[in-house]
This record gives sequence, C-alpha cells and structure tokens, in this order.
Amino acid sequence: MASLSTTSLSFKAPSTRISQVLRKGSSFQSVTFGRFTSSTSKSLRLQISCAAKAETVQKVSDIVKEQLALTADTPLTAESKFTALGADSLDTVEIVMALEEKFNISVEESDAQNITTIQEAADLIEDLVQKKPAA
Amino acid sequence: MVSRSEVLSLCRAMLRAGRQYPHYNLREYTKRRTLDGFRMNKNLTDQSKVNEAYAEAKAQFVVLERSVKFHSLYPPKTKNIMEVKLQ
Repeated sequence: MASLSTTSLSFKAPSTRISQVLRKGSSFQSVTFGRFTSSTSKSLRLQISCAAKAETVQKVSDIVKEQLALTADTPLTAESKFTALGADSLDTVEIVMALEEKFNISVEESDAQNITTIQEAADLIEDLVQKKPAA
Repeated sequence: MVSRSEVLSLCRAMLRAGRQYPHYNLREYTKRRTLDGFRMNKNLTDQSKVNEAYAEAKAQFVVLERSVKFHSLYPPKTKNIMEVKLQ
C-alpha cells in the first residue's frame, strides 16, 4: 500500500478539474479502502487518482456515527448519504463542524453545502489537509 | 424572504464564532444553544415566522461576535478540568 500512495501523490500536479473528475470516477471503482489490497495493474491505474485514504474515511465514519447516534452495526459505506442515515441539513452542518475541529481544517461555505456523502467529506478533508502548510 | 441556505449559513457562522471563546463553558453553551435554537424552529412553514426567527438569530449573532471579542480580553488563567485529557 505504501508504494501505491507515493505514486498517487505525484499525480496531484495535473489541473484540478481533471483530477476531480478522475477522483469522482475512481471512487466508485476502488473498492474499500485498504481492506482489499488489490494488486492488479488495472486497479493500480485507478487508485492513482483516488484521493481519500482508508483511515480518513474511517475517522469520518466514526464522527458521523457519533453525531447521528447510530448503532454500531448500521451499514456504513463511503457512499452512504447523510440524508439516508437520517440526518437533516442542520445535522450535516454539525457534522461538518465536528470534522473541521477533528482535522483542524477550515471548510469554505460553498464546499460545505455540497457535501452529501462520507466519501465526499473524506476527499475534501484530504484536499484541505494537503493544501494547509505543514504545522 | 429568507432562504434555506441563508439559514444554514447563519447557523454555521454562529457555530464558528462560538468556537473562538477561550472559555470551555461558553464554547459548549454556544454550540448547544445555537443547534437547539435552530432545531426548535426547523419545522416552521409560515414565511413571516421564518423571517422573524431569522432576524432574531441574526441579532443574537451580532451579540455573540461582540461577546467573543470581549471575553477574549479576559481569558481564563487555568485550563478547565473538562479539557484535560483523561490519563
């Protein structure tokens, strides 16, 4: 997994629009995040553009579970929409605030309104954590 | 006419402002109270009532910002017990 992550970093250079499209496309195909270490060359190409790490997604999921008071065995995938989990827009605001605090980032107003799934939140967090100068 | 996104923006702004208090109790209270306040009125349908509630929240927001500035002048001298990590 280590070698895959380094190659993914080197590909962040291309224009953000393209990498965003690639990211969106690959988020459906790169099957869960770290548990299945698929090592075929086909998935390698897709994972290069995959933005969110497994642990980020896990942390986001934990926060979502806590905020929405979900039981431990509710099925929670990266594609789960907040509304499907029983959150209304105020809950979403609260979740985004909690994520901001946890990861020590600042989410823009426009970005915050577009977060609907766990994967999107994780991608945005990764983005912001990288852009932030290392403390 | 107050839109949904304006209401959410105000909620977010208030939560952000409340985070700046150096005092644990004020931070927690602001977070709790703003969310409770917005949740209490979330099912309003009458637009005039919505506008009224929004205006009230806006006024409170102005007070909140002023209060944060003031309380930042007098930060607590010791760390609050609730902020100390359990060992």
